[in-house]
Amino acid sequence: MAFSGITELSPGSVYALQNAFELNGRISAYPDSARGYSVSNCYLLKADGRSMLLDTGYTAHETEILEQLGSLVEPDAPLSLFPLRINEFMSVSNAMAIARRFNVVECFSNVPDIEEWIEFETLRGEERNPILKTTIIERGDHSQVALSPGRKVDVLNAPIRLISTRWIYDAASKTLFSSDMFSHLWRDREDGPWLLGDNDTDDVTNYSFVRSFLLNTRYWWIEGGNLTPIRKAVADVYDRFEIENIAPGYGTILRGRRHVDRQFQVLDDVLDQLDRTRVAPAYVPRGLVR
Amino acid sequence: MDIENPLPREIARGVFWLGDCLEQFHKGKSYHSYNAAFLLCGDDASMLIETGHPKDFPAIERQMIELLTADRPPLKYLFVTHQETPHSGGLGRVFQNWPDITVHGDVADYHLAFPQHADRLVSMEVGDEIDLGGRKLVAVEPVIRDLRTTLWGFDTGANCLFPGDGLAYSHYHQDGHCGLVAEEATSLDLEDVLAVFAERALYWTTTTDMRIYVDQLEALLDELGVETIAPTHGLPVTDLALTMPKVRDGLIAEGDPELSVRHISNVDQPEVT
Repeated sequence: MAFSGITELSPGSVYALQNAFELNGRISAYPDSARGYSVSNCYLLKADGRSMLLDTGYTAHETEILEQLGSLVEPDAPLSLFPLRINEFMSVSNAMAIARRFNVVECFSNVPDIEEWIEFETLRGEERNPILKTTIIERGDHSQVALSPGRKVDVLNAPIRLISTRWIYDAASKTLFSSDMFSHLWRDREDGPWLLGDNDTDDVTNYSFVRSFLLNTRYWWIEGGNLTPIRKAVADVYDRFEIENIAPGYGTILRGRRHVDRQFQVLDDVLDQLDRTRVAPAYVPRGLVR
Repeated sequence: MDIENPLPREIARGVFWLGDCLEQFHKGKSYHSYNAAFLLCGDDASMLIETGHPKDFPAIERQMIELLTADRPPLKYLFVTHQETPHSGGLGRVFQNWPDITVHGDVADYHLAFPQHADRLVSMEVGDEIDLGGRKLVAVEPVIRDLRTTLWGFDTGANCLFPGDGLAYSHYHQDGHCGLVAEEATSLDLEDVLAVFAERALYWTTTTDMRIYVDQLEALLDELGVETIAPTHGLPVTDLALTMPKVRDGLIAEGDPELSVRHISNVDQPEVT
């Protein structure tokens, strides 16, 4: 039985729905050579009787995610969905299953008619999926959406991204939801731990490891790129928001300013050292290990 | 779409272009683009390449049934270039209609997205091939890609390249481009329509010197002897000598602005691919 658990990040307010998968060379978000386990993290934000779910997880975890949600959300309570990468299975696979079970009142999207993007089944006979109300998020690098009448979250164009990606900042919990970034902490055991606390040691995050992780996963293209605008955009997020927790879409969650400082510093170092002013750009063939 | 869908269309011998347009808006202007699939028919077996955008699957399903019932060999294989939903989101729906097929490519993640079909996934690497009878589909280097797990396909029967997100560009619905190959769409401004995808989908291409990648692409086309290019998002290219120089200029223009012809501001997000 694969690990499945709920981690409370902020009392009564922010929960991580964590479900493990094996790293076996068949996970696109991790290096081909990575072995062990990681988790996909969907995050539930709650306020004033309303909830917002960031990402919906893989189909392989559908049963667990529905159970996890069921333990946190009343079936009739209004629930918003917010896939951070609408073209990726981890973000959208369970959207319809959740909408069939819970009172999904809207789905945030940068495209209209979101149900046309997330319907992966052919229904038979009289079966019909719910029509989701699409709430279009504003264009531009920064906007806000309401979790409840009294609580908004910041929506950011991910400052470093492979494809369409949003980061979310929740000021109430001082948490940055970073989607595919800061996701490089995996484990040998499927039961984690999947939260690194204030006083826990991060033995992994250093220049060489993060450099290798980025180049061997979704950020294979950054070596020799013009990374100055990306560094500036990442630094802007760090400077503008009071981040105490980093909550990635995959892997270990990081709690505490010390971890936050380290993650941003190492990322900046990597981007600085791989900038085209230091490294000449070159073709990167598929499967090149660096 | 409010006009009759011009697809399916045979773009090379035994290569059928499937799908429908997707309208998108960019800087206040309407563009159309494709999230296409292709049916490749050999003497003994047929193969679907890509599954199309989830919204298009009912249309693609109808197109496939129409084509496969017309004395063509049965569908045995599905090849998918990579794991984004506009390319592979229909995988489960294809299985529902053709439960005996196998899925080929770099099959990462599909066991998590479609666990009920995990036993039908067959991993490929560059150089691996599938024999359809009289033609083979060969996995080739994905020169322009996003996910690291991308593979391109090459059909030895019609020397047709299936480059997934490579050559990703929109077209002008108002000019009647829907269903046309690139050479027929004479008013198509490739630099303009490549920019839509460069800004919205292939963000990384705006950060680097794209001459490196275009050179590599041209070398691959020469090495394979490509005669037709069947991109997932762009209009098919059937005259490389005429169209590829324009593609070259367009791709280079989208690269790092300090290395390229003109500046492309980074103001928006991908909505496609």
